Formats: sequence, structure tokens, C-alpha cells
Amino acid sequence: MIEFEHVGKRYGGRFEALSNIDFRVRRGEMVFLTGHSGAGKSSLLRLLMRLERPSRGRVLVAGHDIDRLHVSQVPYYRRQIGVVFQDHQLLFDRSVFDNVALPLTIQGMEPHEAARRVRAALDKVGLLYREKALPIELSTGEQQRVGIARAVVNKPALLLADEPTGNLDPQLSTDIMTLFEDFNRIGTTVMVASHDLALITRLRHRILRLREGRLVADEEAA
Amino acid sequence: MREAQPRHTSMRGARGQRPRKGSQLRAWARHHRAMCRDSATRLIRHPLASLLTMLAIAIALILPAGLWLTLDSARLLDAELDESATLTAYLEQAVGDAEAGRVTEALRAHEGVAEARLITAEAGMREFQESLGLEDALARLENNPLPASVVISPRDTAPEEVEQLAGALEEVSGVDEVRLDLAWLERLRRLAELGQRLVLALGGLFGLGVLLIVGNTIRLSVESRRQEIEVVTLIGATHAFVRRPFLYSGAWYGLGGGLLAWMLLSLGGHWLASPVTALAESYGADYRMPSLDWLGSAVLLFSSTLLGWSGAWVAVNRHLADIRPR
Repeated sequence: MIEFEHVGKRYGGRFEALSNIDFRVRRGEMVFLTGHSGAGKSSLLRLLMRLERPSRGRVLVAGHDIDRLHVSQVPYYRRQIGVVFQDHQLLFDRSVFDNVALPLTIQGMEPHEAARRVRAALDKVGLLYREKALPIELSTGEQQRVGIARAVVNKPALLLADEPTGNLDPQLSTDIMTLFEDFNRIGTTVMVASHDLALITRLRHRILRLREGRLVADEEAA
Repeated sequence: MREAQPRHTSMRGARGQRPRKGSQLRAWARHHRAMCRDSATRLIRHPLASLLTMLAIAIALILPAGLWLTLDSARLLDAELDESATLTAYLEQAVGDAEAGRVTEALRAHEGVAEARLITAEAGMREFQESLGLEDALARLENNPLPASVVISPRDTAPEEVEQLAGALEEVSGVDEVRLDLAWLERLRRLAELGQRLVLALGGLFGLGVLLIVGNTIRLSVESRRQEIEVVTLIGATHAFVRRPFLYSGAWYGLGGGLLAWMLLSLGGHWLASPVTALAESYGADYRMPSLDWLGSAVLLFSSTLLGWSGAWVAVNRHLADIRPR
């Protein structure tokens, strides 16, 4: 599903955020990406979202070199990956329901069908009863779950998460990770960036370790 | 109700799946409707700020629109003047009254002449005396120094045609000289032309003003919705999708400004109507205060809406380039 071929990313002239990253993620796999802050986790995810383009090498998603996508095709590419952000990036001027519906609205899905999908996604993260609430009325953990519902509402084949448990206590973090495992179980390829080593080693999935922009370890699931 | 969640195993190709044409068109129309409504709601939510922006647009539109109206009515006046453009044929001194009648007939027979009216030497003298109040001085003259004259209305009032006609009529026997005083008419025409260019220049300048007003307002609104733009871009919104609400806002501002301008122009017209008419009457002219007709109103509203839309387009495109998701 994901292939990095000797990828390097340089910002400005000198700073090398990533160098010679080379790995593959199979379809339906669940992978953790770890390392200290500044190790290159976010840069790697930004390459996958095509917010950045590699300075060297190739990034392939589902067999396509995403660097070669035309600007006009990028939005359509992004619609196929679900992304969960650390700061969840919810819009505070609209309800939970409207936030989750946003990707479907962008795609122009028929409202009736969209409502059905939004409710299914909210139900999955256990927040169906809060659909009319504004994000500000929710706890941090709930806001993050709304963010997850928005990422999966479109049934993406690839789910990316950047420090999804960054601001959560251990119990909530475990709940969130369990949610990702559920999505993975029904076939979604999942990649989660997290520096919470204790948590992710307990979960027994493949772990990619980054240090100073290099891939230093690739530990298969135990 | 717990439903089976994402069931899919294949990525539909990184090039992206696009919905079928028909549903795509319906979705597009749906989003247009939604954004049209949404942007209007946003404007109404801040009534004072919106009204001030529209007022600024209205003021920028009033000057060129008002000038255009004035010029348009001046053109009507011009047409009236054309009708009053006449030639005067002075007959030779030796021509007597009976012969003068015959010469008048000859002039009337010319194909370019619509109307010819004889003013005998005596009638000319009387008119001259009355208009100048020089009865005494002129009464002292032994002979009437004025020739008989014929006032001629040409069929075609275009200046070149009239000039040509004058030349032709001078050939008629008994006619001494044909005079036409077109210089002032010519001057008026030039003035009208100058006015037209002025309106064009001002229209362009103030149209640019409207673009800037709308552009600046939209720039602020893009800035205040920055996070929203970043988020929708991250989850796959196209540029057109992001641009749409702002374009509608711009169009609403333009339409609102156009309506305000129209109202202010009508109000101003009513306010000025009675003194203007009175002034015109004192000159013996039948001049009515110009007002916008249906076509004029439609042009005003259409162009203001278009200006608002274009201003928003420029502003959004300029600023979308700056907004890249972090």
C-alpha cells in the first residue's frame, strides 16, 4: 500500500528532515511510527498526505508515485486517505455532525446517504448521542474521537494518524488505539505516529523507529 | 444501531475516483445553492459591517452612474437642438417682395430642404428693432439696410450635410449668401464627447475602487476563516470548493452596493427634480430630471454584482496561495 524508495526531504538548503527512508507497508497492515519529536515522523506523514514533496526518492501509494499527481488531482487523492491530527483540526463553528460530514460534503455526496454514513461513523466512536453538540462542549478525548470519525467517514483505504493520543491520559490513549485496531481489522491500512513507546510496544504491531531523519529500526509485530 | 464500518480492501487508484457525471452536476448545484445561502447568512449576521461595505460600494458607483444619467439626458437635448438647426439664406438687396416669394419657392423645392420661411425686409427690420430696442436709431435710416431672408430647416441635420446644402443653395439665383451657425453646436458636441470620455474614465476608476473595496473585505474574511480553509484543503477540497463561498460573498456585496446606489440615485433625483425643472422652465426649456429606466437599473445591478464577484475572485486567489496547511 505504501512504498518509500530512498526518500530524502530537505527543508531550505541544509536541514535534512529525512534521509534515505526505505520501507514498504502491505495492504491491511497496521504500523506504528515512533521516535523523539523532530525525528521526522511528521515530515514522513506530510509526504504521504502530499503536503510536501520528497527532495529525493519516490513515495508510492497503491502503486502510484504521488509526486507525479497533477495539482488538480491532489484533492481527489487526499479524499482517499483518512487523517487524524494531534490537534484534531475540528471546526468550532459547527456541530459534531457537520464536522464529521465535511469530507462527504466536499465530495458532494447526496445528503441523505451522507447522514447515514456520518451516524455510522459517530456510532463507531461512541459519540452518536452528541451529534448536535458543538466541539467546544466536548472533552479532549471526545474531540479526538470526532476527529477519528471524520477521518473514517469516507471509508478510506489508508488511515494516517499524527500523535493521536498526544494530549490524552493513558486510559483514553488505549481506547483510541483500540479504535484504530478495529478499523485495521476490517481491512484499513493504518499508520500511527506516536512517541508513546510504552503504549505502542504493548499493542504488538510493526514499529518503524526514526532517529534524526533516519529509519533506525523496523521491528515486525511480535 | 451498530453498523459494519469501512469495508473496502482496495484503494481506488491514487488518481482518485470521481463521482459519475450526473450526480457530480447535482452535487455541484447543491453546493452552489448552499454557499449562496450560507454567504448571505454570514452577511446578515454582521448587518452593520456589511451595510458599511455596501455603502462604500454604492458611493463608488453613484458618481459614474449619475454622470452617465446626466450625459444621457444631455444627448436628448442634443437631439432637440439638431431639430432646431437652421440655415439662413440672405437674398440680394435688389430682390423685391414678389421676387422674394419666387426665390423662397425655389429654395423650398430643393430636395434637401424640409421647410423654408420668408422674412421680408420690413419684417426683418421690425424683429431687429424689437429685439434690440434700437427703434430710434434705426428709424433715422432712410433706407432699410436689411435684405429679405429665408429661414430654412434642412431635412438632414448632420453638420456635413447641412454645410453641403448651404453651398448648393447659394447657387440659387437671387440668393446672396447662406449662413449657418454650427460652431456652437459643434462645440456642444465636443463637450458631450468629452463628458462621455470622462464618464468612461471615472467609471473605470471607480469600478477599480469597487474591486478594491470588495477585495479588501474578502481578504479579511479569508483571513478569519483560515483554519477552516486549511482543514478542508487537508481533507480533499478543490480550489473551486474553497473559493465558492467567498465568490458568493463578493457577489452579494456587489448586489447590495448596486441596490443602495440605485436607491440613492432615485432619492437624489427626486430631491433635485423640482429645482432642476424650475431652472429649465426659466430658460423656456422642457427638461425633465433624468432617472434610471429598467435597462439602466439592470445594467447597474448586473455590473455591480459582477464587480463584487471579480473582486472576490482576485482576493481569494491572491490569498489562497498563501494559505497552505501546516
